[in-house]
Amino acid sequence: MAATKTSSVNGINGVSADTTPTVLREHAEQQFAEELAELAKADTRPRPPQWKLSPWAVATYLVGGQLDNGFEVTPKYIGSRRTIEIAIATLATDRALLLLGVPGTAKTWVSEHLSAAISGNSTLLVQGTAGTSEEAMRYGWNYARLLAEGPSRAALVSSPLMRAMQTGQIARVEELTRIPADVQDSLITILSEKTLPIPELGEEVQAVKGFNVIATANNRDKGVNELSSALKRRFNTVILPVPETIDEEVSIVQRRVESLGRALELPAEPPALEEIRRLVTVFRELRNGVTVDGKTKVKSPTGTLSTAEAISVMGNGLALAAHFGDGTLRADDVASGLIGAVVKDPVQDQVVWKEYLETVVKEREGWKDLYRACRDQG
Amino acid sequence: MTDTANLHIFGIRHHGPGSARSLRQALEELKPDVILVEGPPDAQDVLTLLVHEQMQPPVALLIYAPEQPQYAVYYPFAVFSPEWQAIHYGLTQDVPVRFMDLPQTHQVPPPAPEPKAEDGTEPVTAAKPEPDDNAQSSAGQTVQSETPQLTPDLTALLFHPRRDPLRWIAEAAGYNDSERWWEDMVEHRRDSTDLFAAILEAMTALRAEVEAYTQATQSAVQAAMGAIPTEEAPLTNEPDDAPADGQVTMQDIMLLDPFETKREALREAWMRQTIRAAQKEGFERIAVVCGAWHAPVLADMPPAKEDAALLKNLPKTKVQATWVPWTYGRLCFASGYGAGIESPGWYHHLWNSSDRMAVRWLARVASLLREQDIDASSAHVIEAVRLAESLAALRDRPLPGLPELNEAVQSILCFGSDVPLRLIHEKLIVGETMGQVPEETPAVPLQQDLTREQKRLRFQPEASQKVLDFDLRKPNDLERSHLLHRLNLLGVPWGQVERSGGGKGTFHELWRIQWQPEFAIRIIEAGAWGNTVFEAATALVRDQADRAPDLPALTTLLERVRLANLPIASQHVMQRLQAEAAIAGDVVHLMDALPPLCNILRYGDVRQTDTQMVGHVVDGLVARVCIGLPLACASLNDEAAEEMYQRINNVQAAIGLLQIPEHTATWQATLLGLVDKGNIHGLITGRCCRILLDAGALSTEEAARRMGLALSTASEPAQAAAWIEGFLKGSGMLLLHDERLWQVLDEWVTGLTSEVFPQLLPLLRRTFSTFTPPERRQMGERVKHQKASVKSKATAVTVDNFDTVRAAKVLPIIARLLGVPQAS
Repeated sequence: MAATKTSSVNGINGVSADTTPTVLREHAEQQFAEELAELAKADTRPRPPQWKLSPWAVATYLVGGQLDNGFEVTPKYIGSRRTIEIAIATLATDRALLLLGVPGTAKTWVSEHLSAAISGNSTLLVQGTAGTSEEAMRYGWNYARLLAEGPSRAALVSSPLMRAMQTGQIARVEELTRIPADVQDSLITILSEKTLPIPELGEEVQAVKGFNVIATANNRDKGVNELSSALKRRFNTVILPVPETIDEEVSIVQRRVESLGRALELPAEPPALEEIRRLVTVFRELRNGVTVDGKTKVKSPTGTLSTAEAISVMGNGLALAAHFGDGTLRADDVASGLIGAVVKDPVQDQVVWKEYLETVVKEREGWKDLYRACRDQG
Repeated sequence: MTDTANLHIFGIRHHGPGSARSLRQALEELKPDVILVEGPPDAQDVLTLLVHEQMQPPVALLIYAPEQPQYAVYYPFAVFSPEWQAIHYGLTQDVPVRFMDLPQTHQVPPPAPEPKAEDGTEPVTAAKPEPDDNAQSSAGQTVQSETPQLTPDLTALLFHPRRDPLRWIAEAAGYNDSERWWEDMVEHRRDSTDLFAAILEAMTALRAEVEAYTQATQSAVQAAMGAIPTEEAPLTNEPDDAPADGQVTMQDIMLLDPFETKREALREAWMRQTIRAAQKEGFERIAVVCGAWHAPVLADMPPAKEDAALLKNLPKTKVQATWVPWTYGRLCFASGYGAGIESPGWYHHLWNSSDRMAVRWLARVASLLREQDIDASSAHVIEAVRLAESLAALRDRPLPGLPELNEAVQSILCFGSDVPLRLIHEKLIVGETMGQVPEETPAVPLQQDLTREQKRLRFQPEASQKVLDFDLRKPNDLERSHLLHRLNLLGVPWGQVERSGGGKGTFHELWRIQWQPEFAIRIIEAGAWGNTVFEAATALVRDQADRAPDLPALTTLLERVRLANLPIASQHVMQRLQAEAAIAGDVVHLMDALPPLCNILRYGDVRQTDTQMVGHVVDGLVARVCIGLPLACASLNDEAAEEMYQRINNVQAAIGLLQIPEHTATWQATLLGLVDKGNIHGLITGRCCRILLDAGALSTEEAARRMGLALSTASEPAQAAAWIEGFLKGSGMLLLHDERLWQVLDEWVTGLTSEVFPQLLPLLRRTFSTFTPPERRQMGERVKHQKASVKSKATAVTVDNFDTVRAAKVLPIIARLLGVPQAS
């Protein structure tokens, strides 16, 4: 366990030291450095201690808007501003924030951007897994040093959480419900007393103002380890919903696919709105179990069919079109990704998909190409 | 402009606790010698009841025309309504209080059978025509204000900025709730004297803008339509004139504004005349309490002559006024009340608690959640208060309002879920408070109508329990039954049908009757639906039909409507049923819907025109059931099979009742398909076999063969047992008397070898044990004398050389017993 933790610490240090233009994916604070700087300049409202921006500016950073000097802030989260406001107000009250939602509802995305905007650092991250240990949440030891010099602060290897406490920044815990219950509970003291005792040294680390925790969890399968009510009580819960309207979802997919295409330097043209709308329609219909016109019921497959998956299907199609097609996105390029996204269970989902294809897609005006492409590949 | 120095105008927001508080304060400072309130002068007589000690708001003033029971207007009041506070202040301080709105006596439409919209006297309902209005009125029942949704509150102006003019200003200031804006702008400044002057000024500006805008749109619309030459042209509200949803705004402007502006002019003229009268009488400090919208035109008085001219020759109808209890639920805008508010419970809270609103509110929320066994500790409440406060700060609000509190509750107390929030909305934000009126309040029209009906049918309410046997062939009894069914629909269970004691005849209905004192309250509550029992029941059913979630709910409703004899409502339910059946996917629901419809089709209680529609719905249902049944029967467990067994029986009975050859054929083909299918539960295949055998679609030999097949040793014992159960269940008597059935069973049993018989015995025993002991004894006896009895019976049935002449002698007696007129 110690080895994993050490390497992850090094990795984070290496990234935050200097920005290299060739990284696959930049951190939010790097990618949107300009916006953050402009917001900080325009922001005259009171800031909570250690916050880089005022709560109002953080909200603007997330949902977008125009500053008084005409600078345009791009929306990072498309959806209700109120939801984001609740999240920010929570962090301002020094209560921890728990973002809940089905997979692919931008929980991690929101948490990354929140910490980037508030602390200017989104890298203090603990990834929750079934194997996450208490060392990853609190602190570990550099055993060579521990043996050589005995217990001391120098031999202590701090966790991202501990560093966030020391520096007064936001720490992120991803997939909280995947973490074993006993390890989860080590958060309780940190969240209620805001201190982390180190009994081996007879010391403690007290959190500096500005410290807080954003956790994300999946409410689809209740995770693996449901939170204890003691821990639950220390979080304010905000549920991130699936996009409310088809237009909202189309806009999310379009925006993300475009930026993805740019990031991956795909030569293909960004997909036409029509193609995105079609894909989003398929996703929504299967997810909601009813066609958009509300007239026909359809069966829902086992997968979640989130917006994030729609984005990845589009990205996939874009790559196919760029490298194996003529650069224009066609139904063929989308079909394989689409089937992959829908058919998660080879038996049940196959039936669902076939039925949907034959009863809905086949008869829909202007969807012939998609129908043919899907049938050929299915 | 007359002298306005003695005139103090208080433009308020209906049902605004902020307005109410400021108004009360202002009145106490002003000490007026007369108070004029925007309200119906018709109610002047019952006004003093307001300070009666038994009076508990929310209540409503009800103005109705005794001759036209379908016309009624409600003016709801809550304790936090500024008007209530003004009247209360006046009556307790011995200051004369007068209503100054245009009296309802001049607003009742002429009792014409056709709902014509000619001038401003038309109630708001007529401006919103239902597509089938004409169809209904042709039936002789004018149902203008049939649903409370459309009951006009005359202070309610549907045109948006008028409905809540302060909201417009609030929205311009970036608020989503005018009460919020009021709170922030007024409550926290505490300078309510200048406040009303400021409102007056703001309203003057707003009205000027709105009028300019309205005129612009109106002329644009008229130009576009080209068909309306002058404003005076009567706009009839025929459905043709009302375009579909897409053009609601156009329609609203087209239909509403001509009346609204005219009626509004009349109302405001009347208000000014009332003010002038008060001035003439020599009052020196006149307080005028009116909707903020009207404030400017009351301050700036035109010459009295114009108003007098405007108010000349108004039609007059006799009206009566009374108080009725109201509920917070019906104060809601969602309930269709035009001047409604969104959160009466919250306003009540605002009115009652002077400080620490958020903390008190959240404490109430927490205790409500605790009642529902949801953890809500004080620590939760503390955190929720903190979150609400920081949310308010984030949004630049001085204090947390309802949205912030709700969000804090959802996030902290409900762990993000919105389910408990709905409960909070229902119980706290809207609230369940119901008002009370004093005993001496005049009776409501629905109660009067009920009394009339009771007198007419010689059917007096009694507190003791009684059982009555109605012979539905007698008109009086039939009408009594209709009345009881209608009251049941209205939630007044005066009588309950007792099926068990009834004879076999379908024309008997056994009722257990008992009048309970609390029914009086329920009748008052039901009064909101209509002013006669018939109308109220119709309106209520229409509302229920619109909100029915699925097919079974609709069919049950239809059955009740049929019993209550409500033709208009039944038509509406039928339409809903057709729409719902088209999209319903669940065969089970379709099967449940079929029998009651078949009943109607066969015995047709509804009017002739409806039968066709029912037939259409039934055709569709039968087809869908036949297509979906095989799939719905696949892989059922015992419990589900039992339910499906019942449903198949019901559908069989229904289809048998219909006697439509096509349907019977399709149904039998479907059953035959089921019998031949592999993975169907034995109970169902057994039953299908039996139905087919009874219908003659399977021959005796074939049925015997299938029985052997199903009960052969290779099949699962449980499956075989279920099969025989399905085949024979509940027909012990039949088995004794139906020769064919007996034969099938007999052939099969006697065909078994002595080795196989003991193995199958338990299966048979399982079914036979469900028969009653006498039946089993008779069967045993019959088996004992099998040879003889079978022979004799067989001969008895097949013999054909009996004495016709002798037999014919009994026919006249039988004919008399059956009531058949003798042929010759």
